[in-house]
This record gives sequence, C-alpha cells and structure tokens, in this order.
Amino acid sequence: MTKITLDDISLKDFTLGNLPRLQELRRLSFARKPEICIERARYVTRYLRDKDDPTDSPEVRQARKVNYFLQRKRPVFHDHNLLAGSTTSKALGAPLFPEFFALTLWPELDTVSTRAKNPQKLTPDEARELNLEIFPYWMDKNVLELTRKRISNTESAQSLKLFESLVFFIAAKAGCISHAVPAYEAMLELGLSGLIDMASVREAAAFLLASDEGDRQADFYRAVQISLQGIIQYAEHLADEAVTLAGVADDPEVRQEFLDMAKVCQQVPAGPATTFREAVNAIWICQVGIHAENINMAMSPGRLDQILYPYYKRDMEAGRLDIGRAIELIGCLWLKIADNVTMVPEASEEMFGGAGTVPAITLGGVDADGEDAVNDLTYIMLRVTELLCIRDPNVNARYDYEKNSSDYCRRVSEVILNTKAVPAFFNDHANITALTGQGESIEHARDYAVIGCVELASSGRDYPASSSIMLNLAAPLEMALFCGKRPITGEEQIGPSTPDPATLNSFEEFWEVFKTQLDWLIEKAIELNEHMGAVHQQMMPSPLLSAFFEGPLDKGKDLVQGGSLYNSSGATHIAFADVVDSLNAIEQTVFIDKKYRFAELLQMVKADFAGAEGEKMRLYLKNRAPKYGTEHPLARKNARNIVGHLFNLYQSHTNYRGGLYRPAYWTMTNHAGLGKITGALPHGRKSGELFASGITPVSGAAPELTACLNAVAELGGECVPGCWALNIKYSPETDVEKMTERFAQTIEAYFRSGGQQVQFNIMTYEMLLDAKKHPEKYPELMVRVSGYSAYFKDLNELMKDELITRTMYDLANGKSVAYLPENGGKQ
Amino acid sequence: MMLDLITQQAQKKLWEQFNNCLTSEVAEEFLQTLLNLMMIVFVVNYDYRRNIKNFEGRYQFCSKDGQVTIGAVFHNGRMEVIKKMIERPNITITFRDGKTLLNFIISPRQDILGSMLRHDVVTDGNLNYLYKFGFMAKQLQLMMPQLPQ
Repeated sequence: MTKITLDDISLKDFTLGNLPRLQELRRLSFARKPEICIERARYVTRYLRDKDDPTDSPEVRQARKVNYFLQRKRPVFHDHNLLAGSTTSKALGAPLFPEFFALTLWPELDTVSTRAKNPQKLTPDEARELNLEIFPYWMDKNVLELTRKRISNTESAQSLKLFESLVFFIAAKAGCISHAVPAYEAMLELGLSGLIDMASVREAAAFLLASDEGDRQADFYRAVQISLQGIIQYAEHLADEAVTLAGVADDPEVRQEFLDMAKVCQQVPAGPATTFREAVNAIWICQVGIHAENINMAMSPGRLDQILYPYYKRDMEAGRLDIGRAIELIGCLWLKIADNVTMVPEASEEMFGGAGTVPAITLGGVDADGEDAVNDLTYIMLRVTELLCIRDPNVNARYDYEKNSSDYCRRVSEVILNTKAVPAFFNDHANITALTGQGESIEHARDYAVIGCVELASSGRDYPASSSIMLNLAAPLEMALFCGKRPITGEEQIGPSTPDPATLNSFEEFWEVFKTQLDWLIEKAIELNEHMGAVHQQMMPSPLLSAFFEGPLDKGKDLVQGGSLYNSSGATHIAFADVVDSLNAIEQTVFIDKKYRFAELLQMVKADFAGAEGEKMRLYLKNRAPKYGTEHPLARKNARNIVGHLFNLYQSHTNYRGGLYRPAYWTMTNHAGLGKITGALPHGRKSGELFASGITPVSGAAPELTACLNAVAELGGECVPGCWALNIKYSPETDVEKMTERFAQTIEAYFRSGGQQVQFNIMTYEMLLDAKKHPEKYPELMVRVSGYSAYFKDLNELMKDELITRTMYDLANGKSVAYLPENGGKQ
Repeated sequence: MMLDLITQQAQKKLWEQFNNCLTSEVAEEFLQTLLNLMMIVFVVNYDYRRNIKNFEGRYQFCSKDGQVTIGAVFHNGRMEVIKKMIERPNITITFRDGKTLLNFIISPRQDILGSMLRHDVVTDGNLNYLYKFGFMAKQLQLMMPQLPQ
C-alpha cells in the first residue's frame, strides 16, 4: 500500500520565504561562531573528584557521573527553535570530553579564541578553570593514559608506539566509541519512565539470582535507571525554564511557544509521545542525553522517516498537523542536530579540520519485510535537507532499485543537484547483502541505517564501533618496498624484515611480502584496539545508550560488554587506490613488461623521481601502468585481491565484545594529511601528493565514468561490510531536468553492478579554485569530503586542493574533464 | 635591592633571548632559554606560579644528535632544570634540532602535527604533560614584554 499522499513530492511550494522561522534559524546557524562549552567537563570532573565511589561497578559509576551532569546541565533556549534542549550551554557549542582528547586543548587555552583557522571561543574564566581545576585531574586518567598504563612493559607497547607515531594507523578508541544508531521506538512508545520500570523489574529479578552474574546484571539495570533518570530531570528543568521564559515574554506568540514547549517537556521523554511534535522533541532530548555520556561523534539518529512516521500519520489524519508545520518541526530538528561541533585543537586541523560531528540520518529504502519504505515523511525530510543545505545532519538516502520508485530516485537526485552535495546514495541490495554476510538476519539487515560517514548498522541492534581502526595502507606498502622500514621513520626496523624486493622473481612473491607487512600491521592495530576496548569497559560503559538498544536490557549487559545483538569493530583504510595502482605499476612494468628492474624503481621512488630519468620513469608509470578505476583486468584483479584479503584477515578476528572486525573504505580527511607526509610511490605519485579519498580512484586515473563506476562496484557487497565512500564530481549542466534523468539512470546502473555507496559534488574545477581564492564569495558552499559534508571555507588547504583536483566528469558524455590549473580550471 | 636588580637584568636578558629564538631562524638555544625563563617567571609571578602548585611532572628533553640532554622536574611547587638524563620521566621529547622543538611547542607558525608526522619530534610517554608544558610555554610567549628595538 502506498504511503505517498503528497500531490507534489518535491514540495516546491514550501520555501524558506514562506517558512520564516526556518529562514531565521538557518541564518543564525551560519552566523554563529563555535564556542567551547566546559559544562560537561566541569561536572563530570567534580563528580569524580568529590562524589565517586570506586567500589561501585563501572556501569553504576558512569551512570551516576552522567546523572550528576544532567541534573546540573543548564536548560537554555537560544532562539525560536520549536524544540527544547541543546547539546551544550552555547548556541553552537564544542563540548569537552576529558575522558578522551580534551587535554589536547591545553596549549591553546589562551589562543584558541583568536587562532587563524577555525577559532573556537573560550572565555578567560573558563580557560582558567580548565587549566587549574579540570585538566590537572585528568593528567593520568584519560583512555589513552589508562591504556598506556595497562600495556607499558608488555609486548603490546609497540602497538601504542605505532599509533602515537600517527603514520601507521589511528586507534580511534582513544577518542571515542560513539558511532551508533540508537533505536528510539521503545522510548517513544513507553517513555523513559517505562524503560526505567522495565529495568527496575529486571534488576530485582537479577538480584534474586544470588550469583556474581546476577549481581553484575542487577548493577547494569540499576545504572540504566540512574542514567535515564538524568534525562528526565533535564527535561523537567527545560519545562521549568520554558514556563519562566513564558512568564517574562512580552509577545503573546512567543509566550505561547514557551508554554507549548513546557507542555511537551512535561510529557516527554518521561512519558510516551502522543503527538508528532512530542515524538520529535523526545528524540532530540534523548540525543542530548546520549551526548552527556558519549562524545558527539557520529551519534546517528537513524531512520527518522520510519520512526516518526506513525506519529506524523496519526496527527495528519486527526487534522492536528499540516505539511508546513511538519516541515517546520523537521527543520527545527535538523538545526538542533547541528547545534554542536567537535573541539578540534590546532594541531589536528590538518587531519580533521572542517569536519562536523556527522550525525547521520537515513531515509527511504525498504522495510523489514523488504517492501518500499518511502513515505510522505521521507519527502518532507528531503525537502528540509534541500532548503536548509547545512553540513549536519549527514543525510543519506537508501535506494532499492526494485522496490523504491523511480520518482523517489529522481527526487533524491534532484536534491543532490540542487544542494550540490547531499544526500549520499546507498544501495539497499549491496548493503543488505553485506550485513546478512555478517550473520545479521534479513529483517535486521533490511532495517540498516548509516552511521557517521558511511558505516552500516542494523538500527539499534548493532554496536559496530565502526571507526575503531583507521589504517594507512601506504605504510605496509612502503614497508614491503623497504624491508620493513619506512622512509619517514628512517632506519628503525618497524615491521618484519622481509626480503629486498629487488631479489624477488615474481609479482606473486612481492604480493606475499606486501601481505606479510600488511598482516603484521593489522595485528598490531587490532591488539591495541582490544586493549582500549578493555579500558572502555572499565572507564566508559554506556548504560544510557544501552537503554536505546535491543539486547542490553535482555542480556543485562552494557553495550561495551557485548550487550548488543551484533557487536563488530570497524577498520577503515586510507590510500586504497594509491596502493592498488602501485601494485599495478610493479606487476606490469617490473614483472610483465620488464620495462624497469625493481632495483631501478626503488631507487627512483627513494629519490622522489628526481632528475630527468626519474621524471621520465614517473611519467611512464603514471600514464602507462594500469589504473584502478578502469577496466584493465590487472587493475581489477589487484583491487579485488586487496579487498578480499582484508576481508578474510579482519573476519578471522573476534573482538572483546564477541563480534567480528569489519573492513571499510572511507577516509574523512586523513588521505590529505597522510598523503602529505608519505614519500613517492611506484605508481608515479610524488612525495607529498595527496592520496585518493575513500575507495575513489586516484584523481585523473579513471577517464571513463562508466568504467570507473563498474570498477568500484564490482568490489561491493559481502567483502565490504563497513561500506565505503566513493566521491564523484560532476560539472553542473544548464538543462537540470535532463541532468537529473541521466543522474538517476547512472545511479541505478552503478547499483545494479553492486556499488554500495556514492556521494557527489556538483561543481567545477573553476568554481572550487575561485572558492579557495575568494572564500568570502562562498560562505555557505557545502562539499562532500569522504563520507561527510563540510563547508569548503572551513577545510584546510590540503583538503581544498584535494577537492579541487578530484576528477570531474561530464555526465552528458561520461568522460572526465581535464584539470588545467594554469587556466584557472577553465577548459 | 641588589637581588632585585640582578633578577630584573637576568629576566630582561632572557626575554631578549627568548624573543630572538621566536623571531629569528636561529633557535638552537631555545630550550635552555625557555626553561631558564620559566624558572625565573615562576619565582617572580604569582599567577604563573599557580600553574605548578601541586604539580608533579618530570620532563626529559633530548636532541636526536645527542648534543642536548636536559631534564625539567616540577616538584613541591618548584621547578628544577637538570642537564642530564633523569629517572622516571613522565614524557621524553626527542627533537631533531632547536628549531623543530620551537616549531613544535610555541612558534607562531606552530606545526605540532606536522612535526610529529615528519618525525621531527618524537615523544615517549604521557602526552598530557606535554600539553601542560605547551600551555606554560605559550603563556610566557603571551607575557613577553615590549622589548626595545
């Protein structure tokens, strides 16, 4: 039965012009400057210093800490948003989580407000409090330092050193787990009070078991109640504050708005949601609560068009809601979700500059029965995304080319063309296959949502710690080329001492050497992740988040202890395309064509292809060796071999929560930072050139769009359970209708070939060069980086260059357009 | 009175040296200058001294060529500089040369991540101690008096 009752799915009659509230809130969101909020850091520190009882279980200690903060969290109303609640006390706030990397801000306390790139405001009083009271408490107590204590003087210490050198892999658990999609259905139906009652009953039952396991479960259920009670208290404070503000408001309309918000907060999230508005606000307040416990990184609200649809439908049918009001409420939610940023120290700008917090929202696709799940709310959310065109939330559109209508595909395409960047497209067939391949039931897999950049999870059932490892594939390649050493780390023997490649007789032998180094490095990364996981189990359980998952309340077990139904760990990879192309170059030119001896190639790579001979070789490698992103069989084979090998290797490891490791291919901005410090590579890449992003072919390497999409698509499905980010840049066309048609057709063909995900930038080289030169002309220009959106002006110089030089295709003829920087990008 | 005068003169000289390190390409003396200046400002400036109240920290600085080996120990609200290897450092910072260390800690053209990625500076130990040290060094930079040209 169709769930589409809209006369016009593009909802073009609804514009910012006739939605003045959204227009004003959007203006404010661009006008606001980020401010660091120390509220959470202050209260969790005070709690731990003065109130904590170390004899409590880790779950109860965490719950009491979170409750203490939520009780004291200031209820603030910064503007005329219809939803109550805010992530921080600031209008656009960067909360501090001293359990992780907040202390990296220390050197900048006096300068962060005025630094040249992406300043974040911090008052002198707050800086003093951080310096003298908060940070000193955490000197030896954050996740990284507790991990160091745990593994110093053991063999695992090497894995920590590799991580801290930053050029091999990043162990992201030092900064967060987060990266999850909660299930809000039970909260909306029962209210938090209902969930608390459920936990209370189970606590009593567990306690009566009179066993260690029963006591542990009882503690967990206790912790759930304590932490959820914190959210309820916060909502009560919001209601009280709204009543107070209504009392002092002169404007009767404003007064009524505050009274309405007070009424909503008196009902939800403590009680069940009875209206669409209550449901929307309940989800938002719970998101705020989740960020009291877990850092604001990729905490993704999930399939909101599905979760909120029953409330929308009921209100529409009852005449309590109209489309305009629904758009306004969803717009308010989008802008609330964007009310926070991450604290980024100046030192990390190069790696992560310009990134948002990447809370992902997933639209469309199929339902648990495999039927079309697109509904009116899907189109309302698409319209809001199109109208607001803001960095967060990270909106993603699922598409099942057999079940979803072509109208839906065209509409999503139209939104991408209009926003120039969002949403990203996800292929239901390939992604559901990827998740069932991980042992997820078909119904659960069909209910997948996107986390953060691109990662997949069955909504509220899958705790995937999807950014556990970010591995630089160029590191094991260099180690294979240089007998276990890397030019950047000098003479230090890092990996196993493998044979000099010049002594090898076949590409197969080199492939074995490469795998030796790769496997060794992955083992180290996994080893460290396991230790950090154990630290999280002691220090950072998540009883509050656990309440929004299927599994923990049945098992009596926290998410970090393996309470979820599915418990994987994610590992993503940087420099995939560059490494494939390097292998291609070695195989073709050294072993097949025998154009160069391996020793010659190594010599030139070491010398960064210096001199006339070096440049001659470099050009040959760059232009004549097979390239990933084309139909060349050798390139396709090497790409498949890497993907297959990584899949098998990761899947042979079980993590500390009892789940498997899942490989993925998205890079955030790491491909720029790591590319900058990596030496020359055998495919003709000079030292310092940026790596390709995600699973995208190297810029300029894939001249034909169809071949490029096919080459990527054939890697998809079972072997990439963590998904990927494929970046495609199209030049805009004047005939938008024709372009939309071709755009949608190309998506369908790519998905039918197996492609899992694709995201777009609809812009020219010329425009991006101009935006780099004149940022003031493009204050709102949004671009897709590698899985997330960013404002171009906020990106570091390297990332700007990467975006500019990405291959641009002309969709009309399917050919790449040459990049001619000497002409200012003009053809 | 005489002590005040000596202290003032020593301070003035150190500020000048510190300023030279920051503004010139020659930064070989940067570490020694920074530590000496820190010690003296801890003595004369109450607000700055609050940074090390109840702070226990042991820093080992080494140059890659082995020419520089300096320890900085914070204990009982005091700072001590030791020109040799110290025991049980909280963090060891090994740097290529004075300029790379300056660039790492304090330079207006600071490039902390780049320094680490290029392995110009290698650390071993608890980085939070380094962050605190970086703050104290930057505070000095911000406190620098206007010096006569």
